[in-house]
Amino acid sequence: MKLEIGNFLIKDVIFGEKTMFNNGILTINKEEAIAFIKEDEHITDVDIVIAKPGENTRIVPVKEAVEPRIRPDGRAVFPGVTGDIEMAGSGRVHALKGCSVLGVGMHYGSFGDGLIDMGGEGAKYTLFSQLINICIVADTDEEFERFEQQKKNTAIRMASHKFAEYLGATVKDKEPEEVEVFELDPVIKRTEEVNKLPSVVLVMQPQSQMEALGYNDEVYGWDMNKYVPSFMNPNEVLDGALISGSFMPCSSKWSTYDFQNFPTIKELYKEHGKSINFLGVIMSNLNVALEQKKRSAIFVAQMAKSLGADGAIVTEEGYGNPDADYILCLAALEDVGVKTVGISNECTGRDGASQPLVTLDVKANALVSTGNVSQLIELSPADKVIGELQALARDGLSGGWSYDEILGPSVREDGSIIMENNAMFCGDMIAGWSPKTMKEF
Amino acid sequence: MVKEIERAGIPVVLLCNLIPVATTVGANKIVPTISIPYPLGDPGTSWETQWKLRYHRVGVALDALTDDIEEQKVYKVKI
Amino acid sequence: MKKAIHYINQFFAGIGGEDTADYKPEIREGAIGPALALSSMLNAEITHTVICGDNYMGSNTDEAIKEILSFLEDKEFDIFIAGPAFQAGRYGVACGNICKAVKERFNVPVLTSMNEENPGVEMFKKDMYVFKGGKSAAKLKDDVKVIASFANKILNGEKTGSADKEGFFPRGIRAQVWLESGKTGAERGVEMLIKKLNGLPFESELPIPKQDRVPVATPIADLSKAKIAIMTTGGIVPVNNPDRIQSASATRWGRYDISNVDKLESGVYKTIHAGFDPAAADADPNVIMPVDAMKTYLKEGKFGALHDYFYSTVGTGTTQAEAMRMAKEIIIKLEEDKVDAVIMTST
Repeated sequence: MKLEIGNFLIKDVIFGEKTMFNNGILTINKEEAIAFIKEDEHITDVDIVIAKPGENTRIVPVKEAVEPRIRPDGRAVFPGVTGDIEMAGSGRVHALKGCSVLGVGMHYGSFGDGLIDMGGEGAKYTLFSQLINICIVADTDEEFERFEQQKKNTAIRMASHKFAEYLGATVKDKEPEEVEVFELDPVIKRTEEVNKLPSVVLVMQPQSQMEALGYNDEVYGWDMNKYVPSFMNPNEVLDGALISGSFMPCSSKWSTYDFQNFPTIKELYKEHGKSINFLGVIMSNLNVALEQKKRSAIFVAQMAKSLGADGAIVTEEGYGNPDADYILCLAALEDVGVKTVGISNECTGRDGASQPLVTLDVKANALVSTGNVSQLIELSPADKVIGELQALARDGLSGGWSYDEILGPSVREDGSIIMENNAMFCGDMIAGWSPKTMKEF
Repeated sequence: MVKEIERAGIPVVLLCNLIPVATTVGANKIVPTISIPYPLGDPGTSWETQWKLRYHRVGVALDALTDDIEEQKVYKVKI
Repeated sequence: MKKAIHYINQFFAGIGGEDTADYKPEIREGAIGPALALSSMLNAEITHTVICGDNYMGSNTDEAIKEILSFLEDKEFDIFIAGPAFQAGRYGVACGNICKAVKERFNVPVLTSMNEENPGVEMFKKDMYVFKGGKSAAKLKDDVKVIASFANKILNGEKTGSADKEGFFPRGIRAQVWLESGKTGAERGVEMLIKKLNGLPFESELPIPKQDRVPVATPIADLSKAKIAIMTTGGIVPVNNPDRIQSASATRWGRYDISNVDKLESGVYKTIHAGFDPAAADADPNVIMPVDAMKTYLKEGKFGALHDYFYSTVGTGTTQAEAMRMAKEIIIKLEEDKVDAVIMTST
């Protein structure tokens, strides 16, 4: 399977007469764009705001991030979501690099939403401070969940996917500045040179723990709570086969942008043919009941073994009880002789002195840690807020609170904030971006 | 929590679904439940079915309080 | 100039070896023995040296500590340093004990140094900075240098680094670090896997800690006479959540009277736990806190009495320290009512 990603490097995003891409500048006709987003009647109010790196701007509650893309051949960028369901992972896709479309609540947040600071001390806590963010700031008619802590956020999330494709259309017929090629030969039809290298699978555990549908990550538009692990080509992941959901505490989240650019996949590609034979992705899931967790671990271990994997990287989109899925999977692989490395964050408590994962197993002896979800973060006021700052304290974001007898509320009168890393938007960068680790002090 | 209570010399039984979490944390007497959101009654089944399951597993937990064990034990349940 | 006080044993004070190990505590002005090396590198004046025999400290620990604390009562000092104790077990434990006491009483930074073989390391590394020292006094200079450079950072109010960087034993406190190399999680993970596949040494970023076990409490002899309490970490509370228990990283708990009900009614109780879909528990809170089953068993005479309250908090993200504190607060209530045993549910 061969995928070409044609990159267009974005230097600036501005509003103007005509929505177009020219010389690194993406121009958006705001009126037309708003009209496009409002085609979904569930969007009752919407504004588009551009946030740039270095600005003293705070964005909250952020629900989703998507890289603007288009397929020159007319297939949907997110098959089964923004258009007809067709196989992803091959052919050509065009991407606007250096920017993302953010889905932001105009007022209300939910458990899985996050915060982004574009400048100052807070910028280091999320990758998205380095991108030009085109924020869809919207309110919806989803009254059934307006005051719920858990929200599906369907309208805003879908708007982000559609709008990303809408902006991608500006480069549909243009020649990209660079083309990245991702190609893997069929597993049993590789050259001798590649075959003699240790073979490796990537095991991904996307968030799928809500039994009610509509909150989980989706694969080809299918809710992953109703899914068992299967083998996928990494190109499918890079090419829009998966979209993010709306459930996990935000620093542990994989946004759709993360799936589209999954650094661990890219790193495995880099070593493919040099030091490893990258077989592909075993796409697993995260479960609620122990029996389900064990079943998925069995599926994964069997597939890895049958594919002839010598090694595996396991990575989870979550913390807390998903650690049980993560550790079970690592142990199940080790038990069948597959050498493993895990990539995840940890929850070592605000004091840093608690058990880092809820289950532990000495078989998990090679782990990368990308951060502590409960580390406290205090940030000074920002000049500008996109969205609504109170959402952090009021709406039950995983890293915010309205009341604490010692720390006070998350949002203070002067606009300064105190929060747990939990609510930093994709803050632990588990997809592989994280320059953070955990050390003993 | 469980460990502190046991440390205080009060026998305690933990009913939970994630047995690996309980064994890692160091609970000594563990009775399995059926899931995280509904440990003792699957809302997809009738109230009678849920009740039978709950009554049974709580009964197993009560009996476990009297069990003289040397090390960590996960109790078997019938329903 | 800032001030330091140093602790050493009889041997390093030049008083004598094993035959003088019963030497009682004394305090002398100025630096003696290893402190001389230390004072040349330290940004503080070592105003006093405390000396105590290892055996005296070992067999009369409480008294020795009391005496030494009384010496320090009228002294001004910014830092307290003991040892280095190398592989000497009794000396290491003595350094640990006195550092711990000084830290508790005077709230100043305390530092010591021991070899990894020293039993004092396991006993005290969580309570203080114990630096990784050599096996014998031949390493004195090196060990003192490590202590001094860290001590100077503290004295100058500079930021101190991680355990591996500074050279002390991990204290069980983990915190986020932005790697200077900028190496990403993906790069580190793939690199670690390639090393593991090729049989090369690698270092896990999350070493699996040793497990802490508690002895099994004496079982209930006669259930029909036992008073039992029920608890949950599943966040079942009255619908208005009167104790404002947090839905994650909880620091609060509540107890709610169930003496006059046969079960927990939907609409009266709900769950505030944010880690799962609350629908089932909101519809029937007994699926998490089985008051109905407990009341039925009580009527049937299976056990003697049910404590009047159930206890509730939320487990997700709650630190072990907070959980321990909450448990201790709850245990007081249980003991007041002579509760014999506990049934706990978690989600």
